[in-house]
Amino acid sequence: MTTRFERQLEELHVQMITMGSLCEKVITLSAQAIRGVECAGEVFETDKEIDNKEREIETLCMRLLLHQQPVAGDLREISAALRMISDMERIGDQAADIADLSRFIDRNMDHIPAQLEKMVEMTVHMVTESVDAFVKSDLDLCRKVIDDDDKVDQAFNEIKEELANQMDKSLDVKVGLDLLMAAKYMERIGDHAVNIAEWVEYSITGVHRNNEHQLGGN
Amino acid sequence: MTKKIFKSSILASVIVLIIGMACVLGVLYRHFGGQIINELKKEAEYLSYGVELKGKDYLENVNGQDSRITYIDDAGNVLYDSMADEEAMENHKDREEFQEAEETGVGQAERISDTLSERTLYYAVRLSDNSVLRVSSTQDSVLALTVQLIPPAMGILAVLIILACFFASRIASRIVEPLNSLDLEHPEENMVYEEVAPLLSKIHKQNGQIRLQIEEARRNQEEFRIITENMQEGLLVIDAYTMILSGNSSVWKMFQVWEPKIGESVYSLDRTEDFRKVIEKVLKGEHGSALLHVDNEFIHLIANPVTRDGSIVGAVLVLMNETEKVQRESLRREFSANVSHELKTPLTSISGYAEIIQGGLVRDEDIRGFAGRIYKEAQRLIQLVEDTIKISQLDEGANPYEWEDVDVCQLAKEVCGNLKDVAYKKNVHLFIEGKEVYCRAVRPILEEVLYNLCDNGIKYNRDDGTVSIHIEEEEENVRIVVKDTGIGIPREDISRVFERFYRVDKSHSREIGGTGLGLSIVKHGVTFLGGTVDMISELGKGTEITVILPKSGKTE
Repeated sequence: MTTRFERQLEELHVQMITMGSLCEKVITLSAQAIRGVECAGEVFETDKEIDNKEREIETLCMRLLLHQQPVAGDLREISAALRMISDMERIGDQAADIADLSRFIDRNMDHIPAQLEKMVEMTVHMVTESVDAFVKSDLDLCRKVIDDDDKVDQAFNEIKEELANQMDKSLDVKVGLDLLMAAKYMERIGDHAVNIAEWVEYSITGVHRNNEHQLGGN
Repeated sequence: MTKKIFKSSILASVIVLIIGMACVLGVLYRHFGGQIINELKKEAEYLSYGVELKGKDYLENVNGQDSRITYIDDAGNVLYDSMADEEAMENHKDREEFQEAEETGVGQAERISDTLSERTLYYAVRLSDNSVLRVSSTQDSVLALTVQLIPPAMGILAVLIILACFFASRIASRIVEPLNSLDLEHPEENMVYEEVAPLLSKIHKQNGQIRLQIEEARRNQEEFRIITENMQEGLLVIDAYTMILSGNSSVWKMFQVWEPKIGESVYSLDRTEDFRKVIEKVLKGEHGSALLHVDNEFIHLIANPVTRDGSIVGAVLVLMNETEKVQRESLRREFSANVSHELKTPLTSISGYAEIIQGGLVRDEDIRGFAGRIYKEAQRLIQLVEDTIKISQLDEGANPYEWEDVDVCQLAKEVCGNLKDVAYKKNVHLFIEGKEVYCRAVRPILEEVLYNLCDNGIKYNRDDGTVSIHIEEEEENVRIVVKDTGIGIPREDISRVFERFYRVDKSHSREIGGTGLGLSIVKHGVTFLGGTVDMISELGKGTEITVILPKSGKTE
């Protein structure tokens, strides 16, 4: 017999998967926007959907905390969910920002550095994997996402160099700055994916790697 | 049950004890009362002799006795009392015992004191001078006796109750013990109380029923499992909260999960928007379907809601892998587009030439040349239609041919004979190597296969190149290797050259001729004959195609 509490926890899980899936969608769309596909409108809509989902999940978490007073693993899952949704919401916002920027850079396809393509791909992959890690409660996947962040950071530095070089030569500075901003947003999205992975790790192990002393132990 | 038995026996014991004690008390009290009366009687009789003889003075001498002696004259005045001052005492004329003694000679009475704590027994005897001698004795009343007895009685009661507790608990556990040790698996074998026998036989009967029902449930489940496990289609049952209730192995294979995800949300299998929309729709009670793209496979999802008593309790999802169908459809579309294109090209030429001739723009002596071109294009058209027909025949598997033992080597020689002129024109040398080897096959199809292989070898060759046919007999197969020194096929095209109308170099295909169906016919033909075809090619160096045919023909 499933209790009401377990039902609500399952519902939370389903809602989290849905929100994660929306994040995947929004970032895939924004990646297409950088490549010049007209999809900014859809990105903004999905971002709005993500915001609504965040509020919904927040309410659900609060209800769970107040009515059920969960302990141990359940409490960890709920508190991790509360943190994860704010990261997911930020991913949505930044994807929207990228889509916004892309309206000014899509006519300058030639200037898009190859690394940006690669970086976008890596970031999309990181977000997908962090959501996957949550769905499957997969610790290895969490660690992979956390490690992958270095590559994204490195790619960002390379793009910065490349754009600086190009702006020195022929690239319009405005376009260059827009591209740099887009790359920076992508890099931030990568960081949020890492945060999500860290919270998934915390909800499984009970230890958060950034503040082990405060949260350590059960 | 032990408790209940214990409680009841304790209660019974205590009640019995109290009633018993009360009865004993009552009986004893009465008995002692009777004895006192007897003693008083004896004393009174004894004293009456003394008083008859010596008068009142006798009584003065017996003072100090336990009982109270009163001497009353016939008027009821007290003449003597052993315990009180006779002067102060009232007249005893109306006393019950006095009156009775006056009448009958002896009188007897008992009176209870005002405080109810004492009972006084009186015995009176009438003397010869009509005076009455009364002897009385005081006894504690029942009430007083009871009050006095309470402390020791309580002690005794306590001891008895403790004893009763001990025995009751022993008895209770002894009664219950056989019930506890009942073997409910084999209820009829127990030899316990007669009273439980009907219960046990009922349990026995129900055990049998339960076993049957479990067996049936298991059989049903097993049947269901066998059916679903052998289904190529995936089957998923979810509840209204998207939790997976059951699923067959095809589902897990489709979504590439290695262990059943029963009890988890269905979104853990796929969380794409299309999938979520279908699930949301079906849980609202509508039928839903979608074509999902999972790991390069196309999966057709059909979802139906499950309702009970008017509310939706879940959904049944059927998943079909339609990758092949989707691919086939795209191939078919490509095929029709290709066929129309290929048919149109020669027809346009023919129509063009005919138009020029019709318009009288051609000199008479040139008409022959134009007719030749029209003839060539018409031939090409015929060839194309023939090839298409052949392929459709092979496709349909309709067999208008007869299976016979064919000498592969001989057939290859015939094919090469037919192609001699073509090869000569292109300056390509043909070689055949191999001994007589028989293979059960359909002659026209095998001929077509060999023809197309050699034809391709010649067509796509360089000047002064060679095409060699190597025929080898293996234990159960015949291996035919056709090797040319031609232009070769790029690696990325190798997997596609067997497709209909696929041309590696589309820009030059018209110069070379052919319909783009050659290798497709080879592939279909070999498959029809139950063999396999394999290709190795290197760009610029040549191509080697190996056909392996079973000697005994196609085995179904």
